[in-house]
Amino acid sequence: MKLSGTQELRARPGDVWAFLNDPQRLVRCLPGCEKLEPAGADRYRAKVKFGLAAITGEYVGEVVYAEKKPPTAMRLRVEGKGTPGFMKAEGRLELSETKGGTQVAYEGDAQVGGLIASVGQRMIEAAARKIIQQFFECAGKELKAVHRQK
Amino acid sequence: MAAGTAMTGAKGYIGRAMKRKEDPRLIRGLGRYVDDIALPGMLHAGIVRSPHAHAKIRSIDISKAQNAPGIVAILTGEDLRGVIGPVPCAIQMPNLKVALRSVLAVDRVRCVGEGVAVVVGAEKYAVRDAMDLVEVDYAPLPAVVDPEKALSKGAPVIHTQHKDNVAYKWELEGGDLKKAFAQADRVIKQRMINQRLIPVAMETRGVAAEYRAGEQKLTVWSATQIPHLLRTQISAMLGAPEHSVQVIAPEVGGGFGSKLNVYAEEALVAHLAMRLARPVKWIESRRENFQTTIHGRDQIVEAEVAVKNDGTLLGLRCRVIADLGAYFQLLTPLVPTLTGLMIAGCYKIPAVRVEITGVFTNKMATDAYRGAGRPEATYIIERVLDLVAADLKKDPADVRRRNFPKPKEFPYASPTGLVYDSADYQASLDAALKLANYPKLRQEQERQRKKGRYIGIGLSTYVEVCGMGPSSAMPAGGWESGTVRVEPTGKVTVLTGSSPHGQGQETTFSQVAAEMLGLAPEDINVLHGDTTAVPYGIGTFGSRATAVGGTAMYLSVVKVRDKLARIAGHILSEDPKHMVFEEGKVYSRTSPKKSLDFAAVVGAAYTAKTLPTGMEPGVEATTFFEPSNFVFPFGAHVCVVEVDPETGDVRLQKYVAVDDCGHVINPLLVDGQIHGGIAQSVGQALLEEAVYDEQGQLITGELMDYAIPRAADIPRMETARTVTPSPVNPMGVKGVGEAGTIGSTPAIVNAVVDALAPFGVRHVDMPVKRERIWRLMRRGKETR
Amino acid sequence: MIPAAFEYNAPKTLEEALRLLDRHGDKAKLLAGGHSLLPLMKLRLAMPRYIIDIGRLKGLSGIREVRGKISIGALTTHAEIERSDLVRKHCSLLSETAREIGDAQVRNRGTLGGSLAHADPAADYPATMLALDAEIAAASKSGSRVIPASQFFVDMLTTKLRPGEILTEVRVGPLPPRTGTAYMKLHQPASGFAIVGAAVRLTVSKAGRIEEVRVGITGVGLKAYRAVAVENALQGSNAEDKVFAEAARAAAQGAEPLSDLHASAAYRTEMAAVFTRRALHRALGRARGKSA
Repeated sequence: MKLSGTQELRARPGDVWAFLNDPQRLVRCLPGCEKLEPAGADRYRAKVKFGLAAITGEYVGEVVYAEKKPPTAMRLRVEGKGTPGFMKAEGRLELSETKGGTQVAYEGDAQVGGLIASVGQRMIEAAARKIIQQFFECAGKELKAVHRQK
Repeated sequence: MAAGTAMTGAKGYIGRAMKRKEDPRLIRGLGRYVDDIALPGMLHAGIVRSPHAHAKIRSIDISKAQNAPGIVAILTGEDLRGVIGPVPCAIQMPNLKVALRSVLAVDRVRCVGEGVAVVVGAEKYAVRDAMDLVEVDYAPLPAVVDPEKALSKGAPVIHTQHKDNVAYKWELEGGDLKKAFAQADRVIKQRMINQRLIPVAMETRGVAAEYRAGEQKLTVWSATQIPHLLRTQISAMLGAPEHSVQVIAPEVGGGFGSKLNVYAEEALVAHLAMRLARPVKWIESRRENFQTTIHGRDQIVEAEVAVKNDGTLLGLRCRVIADLGAYFQLLTPLVPTLTGLMIAGCYKIPAVRVEITGVFTNKMATDAYRGAGRPEATYIIERVLDLVAADLKKDPADVRRRNFPKPKEFPYASPTGLVYDSADYQASLDAALKLANYPKLRQEQERQRKKGRYIGIGLSTYVEVCGMGPSSAMPAGGWESGTVRVEPTGKVTVLTGSSPHGQGQETTFSQVAAEMLGLAPEDINVLHGDTTAVPYGIGTFGSRATAVGGTAMYLSVVKVRDKLARIAGHILSEDPKHMVFEEGKVYSRTSPKKSLDFAAVVGAAYTAKTLPTGMEPGVEATTFFEPSNFVFPFGAHVCVVEVDPETGDVRLQKYVAVDDCGHVINPLLVDGQIHGGIAQSVGQALLEEAVYDEQGQLITGELMDYAIPRAADIPRMETARTVTPSPVNPMGVKGVGEAGTIGSTPAIVNAVVDALAPFGVRHVDMPVKRERIWRLMRRGKETR
Repeated sequence: MIPAAFEYNAPKTLEEALRLLDRHGDKAKLLAGGHSLLPLMKLRLAMPRYIIDIGRLKGLSGIREVRGKISIGALTTHAEIERSDLVRKHCSLLSETAREIGDAQVRNRGTLGGSLAHADPAADYPATMLALDAEIAAASKSGSRVIPASQFFVDMLTTKLRPGEILTEVRVGPLPPRTGTAYMKLHQPASGFAIVGAAVRLTVSKAGRIEEVRVGITGVGLKAYRAVAVENALQGSNAEDKVFAEAARAAAQGAEPLSDLHASAAYRTEMAAVFTRRALHRALGRARGKSA
């Protein structure tokens, strides 16, 4: 499935870049994330609990950064595997300065396999959108906290 | 048009519409299916399956699962290496690139659902929990799902022992194609897709097995259409001597070809029963059924037809890409070749050429599914006829009629090499058009078009090849066995090598035997499905049970009747040739007052005191009937649809079917087969499609997303018959199990295309879903 | 199709149910008719550790008239709603909607409360709740409250219900004179869920002007929503097909239409307009038949 869109965050591009590249802060926005451990250069292992109402699952996976061009662009790959199935998402993020702060443009591809792929088709795009939405809402809160601190 | 006529006199069971003997037990829930088998100490098996379409298996960790409560054993492909043979394919072809699946995957998985481990425990809930604890580490590989992509350079090779994904190339040519195209007034081309379908029998697959170590006897219950063939294969796969293996097909809840196969689980469960010395049962979930039971159809064709301006067909060339899936099941490579054999349909086409490329993809294997290659052929030729009619601005009925062979040309040699037994396509078409009131339909269509309503009328005139078949053309033999035994008290036991699973032979065979012996159907018991009780048989598929199995039984009834006639003649001092069997009595036509009770004649054969010299006691005869040819049912269907221009919704308004299956033994059952066949065609035409995404995930994974027809989707069907007996067997019967499905799909699609003609639409691929039609109405050309 | 292990509780009172819910938190799920939860459990998409079966609680089912409104207990089945004379007389939109849910077997077991709390983006009731300005009552350990339908549906599978709350009752009506309603649905052919479902409530003046209109739409986006753009375009206009057709074109405005295997976003967008227009047309016919 193709995923693309833009989100606006009320923070400077530099702060957004720092946030996105700081796994310890990123952890707080990965839903139910219990651990984010380094597993190599620009590579982290994660245990994530994700749920949509009654549908919950635990996933073990990886977050990998690549092609970093600070402070404006990077590729991100997220992979997860759990009982409900597995997923792999890969995409490009581009940050640009706006009047209100930073526009984050994302464009990528997500694949879903296993149980959720075979029975959850109608929800997959919706769930993906929701996950992205929740992530950015959380990111917004994290960045506001930083902004206030400053 | 004649209604079905009895083969013998007016009062008789043959030709009579009788309710089925099978139904009372089925309706009352007294049928015994595989899941009803419960044996002391029985274990349950659950199979851990790959979620990846293509991957290396790096490791399998069963430690957590093994320690889970109630788990007795866990096996992987490694444990079975060299222990169980591969899942067999019965087809041989020159240059066939064989690709067989192991019972559990070793090293690599090549489609979603491929089994990698089996968990066995005392209770199915514990087994299901433990299955989640088996940890398989996969290294995913790129998957290829589109057969055209699989053929292209650089595509991932699925079977690395072969250099590419081509499983085979097959061709058939008849007549002078070059000349045909050179003489054509025009050449019409069309690309068409026959989409992948999931059979969806109401009962999913299931296997139970018990090994009695003392007697060294293995019994396997399986929801199968081919108990004897299955026994032979399980014996080979396990290395167990065939005479100590028994296979029983209990009540089977639908097959449609999907249970005409040898599956990994059948050998696996049998092996587990032997290995663990306890009975074992495995029942497939619906999701497993969707992923791991064979799929149907899946062909892409580029068709080209050469025609004259008056509508005469000169030549037909088809290039077919057949998506076979990742591995062969029993008949996988054969099915597309049946498309080639029937490509000319019921038309005189002087020259034909069919080229088929069988391709491997990371999907479940395709194999025989109701029609097995023939619906694909009929779809192609019937769409071609309509394209020709549209191009030449002629009525599709007229174009068809112009190209029919005449009844006196039968047996008719098709350019594909088949010899069609008997037919009268003109009568069939005329009957259908009359029943449908075709001219009035066309007038109504015009009227409605002016009001902005889009009615479509679709025709299909079809012929199909079934009654499988002469053994020279069949991989494991095409004959069938039939034993008739009359018990000492005059009751009759019929043993048939056919294996009915809904077709109703317990009823129809009883009707035939009863009439021939002057008994009632209740006096006849038809046994099938148990390899210990029934002599070897080939099974039920390819619409063969009555044409071949019924003939074997018929011939045995004749033998038994002849013997009883001689005994009666001996007792009555009359000529056996004049004996009549009627209402439980036997008498000579020349002196009807001297009659004997049927049971008395039979009794004499057992007490053996007054037998003719040299005659053996007992009353039993077995025939192995080898058919000299296939049989060729045919018919004409007319379908009327209305398309909603706002939503693209298709409503079936009217459905007329005139089918000819030769002589009819039980009209109720024949009608039932036609109704069911049409319903499945509605499914293919309008609703069903097995969809794999680019990663090879089967995203139509449950009935929530794979739409099959409900009663409300099917209009009241108006059916009628013509009767053109087949010369191939003494009862003059053809098959009918698949004919409805074969004939109907193109009628429905032709109707939809006809409805969309005002929008400039020439073709729509199946399923003709609403959104697809909605887009076409707005764009005027076919997009996918 | 075997769920993961769970502990089953069947509390005898609402208070006991609330206590259990509070104790087990997000490890528990309420079970009413089971026709949203059990399929998820059988597929192992949901694996709650505790099931709190409220299906037998007394006082939570039944249809009554209370101070001019129709009050429907959360445990009332779709079949009961479909067959209720009281509902048909005062709020036939709800009968019509209930009839469209699933099939007869599902309707005999599924409950209004269960369906609303689950908030499937393609369920039928949510559109109707919005069109009726329904009031949804919920109880928790700390008391009870009423949530207006317009606030109830928050996101996909997410409602305004807090953890520890149980939906107890839905109140609708009364509908003013010269009001017609209709629910029209484009079925997904396999599941029967709504690709688009449009619920319309239309009140017309004696002169044929639209006095009040509500359009609730389901199936199109992540949650059911009110097609406010359509309502605004209709308010005060003449009640006629031409006006309906024009206004209905905005039916998908404000929602982000989904694409899936069964329908693209573009198709959903247009079907939202088609079914809204059809529902308006039908509602008008019924409004005219009910002149006060």
